[in-house]
Amino acid sequence: MTSRPEELLPEGGMGVEVVPVSGELNVGPQHPGAGHMRILVKLNGDIIEDVDLDVGYVHRSVEKLCENRNYIHLIPLVERPAILDSIHMNLGYILAVEKILGVQAPERAQYLRSFSAEVNRIASHLYGLGILTVFLGHSTGFMWGFGDREVWVEILQALTGARVTNSYIIPGGVRRDLGGAIIEMTNKALDYTERKLKDWKSMVLNNPVIRARLENVGVMSRENAVRWGAVGPNLRGSGVYYDVRKMEPYAAYDKLDFEIPVYKEGDGFARTLVRFEEIEQSMKMIRQILKEIPEGPILTDRFLNQIPPTRRKKWLEEQRRVVFPGYYASFRPPKGEATSMVEAGRGELLYYVISDGSAHPYRVRMITPSYRLIYVFKELVKGSRYADLVSIYGSLDYFPPEADR
Amino acid sequence: MDKVNKIKEYEKKNPFRLFADHVSAVATGLKYTFKPTRITLQYPEEALLLPNGYRGMLRLYKDICIGCTLCALVCPADAMKMATEQGKKYPMINYGRCVFCGFCVDICPVDALRETGMHDAAFQNRRELVFDPDKFNADFQQEMPTGKTVRRVKAIIDENKGIKYEPADN
Amino acid sequence: MDVLALLEFYILYPSFFVMIIFPGLIFALIVLLYTIWFERKIAAKVQMRFGPLYASKRSGGFLQLVADAMKFVFSEIIVPEQVNSTLFALGPVLYLLVSLLPLAAIPLSTIPPTGSVLSMYFHEFYDPNVGTGIMAAVVSNYSLLIVLALEAVTPVFVLFTAWVTNNRFALLGAVREGLLSVSYDVLLIMASLSLAIEFHTLDVAKIVEAPIPGFVANPFAAFLFLVGMLIGTGRFPFDIVEAESELVAGPYTEYSGLLFVLSMGGSYIGTFAYSILFADLFLGGWQPFTGYYGMIFTVFKAILVLMFAVFMRSVYGRYRIDQALRGSWKYLFPLALLSIVIGGVVGIWIR
Repeated sequence: MTSRPEELLPEGGMGVEVVPVSGELNVGPQHPGAGHMRILVKLNGDIIEDVDLDVGYVHRSVEKLCENRNYIHLIPLVERPAILDSIHMNLGYILAVEKILGVQAPERAQYLRSFSAEVNRIASHLYGLGILTVFLGHSTGFMWGFGDREVWVEILQALTGARVTNSYIIPGGVRRDLGGAIIEMTNKALDYTERKLKDWKSMVLNNPVIRARLENVGVMSRENAVRWGAVGPNLRGSGVYYDVRKMEPYAAYDKLDFEIPVYKEGDGFARTLVRFEEIEQSMKMIRQILKEIPEGPILTDRFLNQIPPTRRKKWLEEQRRVVFPGYYASFRPPKGEATSMVEAGRGELLYYVISDGSAHPYRVRMITPSYRLIYVFKELVKGSRYADLVSIYGSLDYFPPEADR
Repeated sequence: MDKVNKIKEYEKKNPFRLFADHVSAVATGLKYTFKPTRITLQYPEEALLLPNGYRGMLRLYKDICIGCTLCALVCPADAMKMATEQGKKYPMINYGRCVFCGFCVDICPVDALRETGMHDAAFQNRRELVFDPDKFNADFQQEMPTGKTVRRVKAIIDENKGIKYEPADN
Repeated sequence: MDVLALLEFYILYPSFFVMIIFPGLIFALIVLLYTIWFERKIAAKVQMRFGPLYASKRSGGFLQLVADAMKFVFSEIIVPEQVNSTLFALGPVLYLLVSLLPLAAIPLSTIPPTGSVLSMYFHEFYDPNVGTGIMAAVVSNYSLLIVLALEAVTPVFVLFTAWVTNNRFALLGAVREGLLSVSYDVLLIMASLSLAIEFHTLDVAKIVEAPIPGFVANPFAAFLFLVGMLIGTGRFPFDIVEAESELVAGPYTEYSGLLFVLSMGGSYIGTFAYSILFADLFLGGWQPFTGYYGMIFTVFKAILVLMFAVFMRSVYGRYRIDQALRGSWKYLFPLALLSIVIGGVVGIWIR
């Protein structure tokens, strides 16, 4: 069966001249469905023939700025590209710096890193689901995504002292310790989210309209996913069993018991399901962390011993937090280079840091997951319907500032 | 290879389930219509009391400060600068640049800088955002209608409602 | 006294009263405001928010939409450079008026021969088919046909508004409207037709006066009519024409200020008109009341239907255009044929 009308019609007589209806549509950057980029869509009827992604509207030159600042100054800076996923952005950078410095965070700090990262992952995925649903016109999913995210943001706020600009992870450990109040909050939040996810399922995941918009839309085969360099939930939605947390465990992931959801279909719904199940897995991990987190220092001894003992004791006991040794203000790591990979909310995040022995890094390269999605997005929308542009965009969870850096 | 076994397939849409799915979606909507769980903070009437340890506006304790310049050195946004007063160095801050990372508080060797739970502030112009050491030395206070008009609340995570707001003591 | 009586006669004259006061222009505009208020409020409840609140806080932001309307009235209307400004202004106005027109032929209640304020019009608005006076702007034996024909005109004016704005998003929206209107009109006409066959009449009043309400007599037709109404007036999940995330605002992209209100209002008033027809055809209309109360009862039912239609926003996203078309031709069209068969078969007993 063909869908081309000229082939259906018999030659001569009833033949109708089919004029291709093509045109360009300039979607964005000020468009409700474009985010911070311009999408030049070449349409033929309702079918997208080609898209030209004009990215870079939120480019902030983070990599170049990194070359002119001390290592510690970069912590708030590298968070900025993906502010809703700041723990991961921070963690990846610190892992690379720690490799150059040759320090290892103590056990408890590792668990706390995983804890904050998973809390952040839930918040990030709920954000992504919210954006996806509003692209599909489902305003309830949007509000729920942002509302339920608030619960987890509240936990991050209690733990780190800021809602999203956490700056929580420092070389050698973390800044603050988990207290009883936060554990209680987290348990309540877990109960709440678990209950709410049931409603999410009936309202969003199993909603026939949402399913119709996502199933068989933007299908990325396993081969294409690998070839185009998809990462994170999008890769796992295409049936590739790959997750940095499993492959090259960092933080406490080698001690945590979790599954990574992988779906075979590779369409928008599979990607959404992967995100959704990752929320469940993250909650499972958080429960485990709360149960198994070992006692101990949260900063490596090398730095902890540099803090004056009275002051160290005072802060640790009163506020369960560590203070910085003066070393941090302008440390000069040895010459060397390091890469680190973390599984951020949107996928694998790679940092490459070169140190030339001075107080500034010689080069910081960050390959963010959304950066890799630009090409995936461009390839996926070809041949789909115009209405699927936003559906694919949302299901990829593309976050322009993260890609533009 | 157990990796392959872990690759799942989702349940395909069953046309017979379609109607039930519609009904359950509408039922969920109705459930929230009759039992709404609102998490809105009604801001001007309810102001949030930020939790202990929140990285809000900073405060300098001038008498403790030793002028070591570490805070200015660690500041990622160059918001903190040292000012010389009678031959002694004190930090001054430009809130127009501050990113509230709290590094200066953590690195201060004598705890002369402290975080306050204050975050909501309004200024007339950008010059006012620069706090010289004397201004920085005082607790930051802006006139705020209190009592009936503004209730101080704190956010509490609730297992049924998500977030609820309870009146705070002060 | 004489003047007062005359005034009363003219104001209550059904053709004027129905079209201009209740449930016509004035009431429809109030309904428009409060439907939007209700839509926002109920969506807010589902979405863990408060919705409009601060305009008249005690009544839950009841005056918010009045404030919004005032703001829109006084905001600037931006006319794009390369459009015909007369046609540009005319588009939404015509659209609103045309969506109001079907109200003319929809009967709202009966007029009892004596004992009601309306009784003085009994003879003038006498419907021989039903054997009583009918409260409608135009009394006709073929009112169902007139209503359907008038409602089928509205998409033309959506295309018109889109065409004059000369915007690509508007044109895409217009194309979608054009494609959709063919499919939903078929559903609406066939659903109405199956009732007409079932009750052996094209007079809406007679269908209402029939012993069983259409909802019981032909549930398929009721369902089809409801879905057709949702598609036809762009309510969720068929908010395809105005699809915000894709087409900005569809045919109304270029409109601002009062013209935007009118163009948005057109679809709500269209929904209202369809709801009244739905209440008449399927929910028993004014039964068991007559006169004034019957009218209020009909409109009350219609508003319930309208509320249900706008509640859908908080449950659904939007379908894609091809899915909506496939759904209506592949699944709903056979159902429509079935409902006609049911109409024919059940009609044998209804006579």
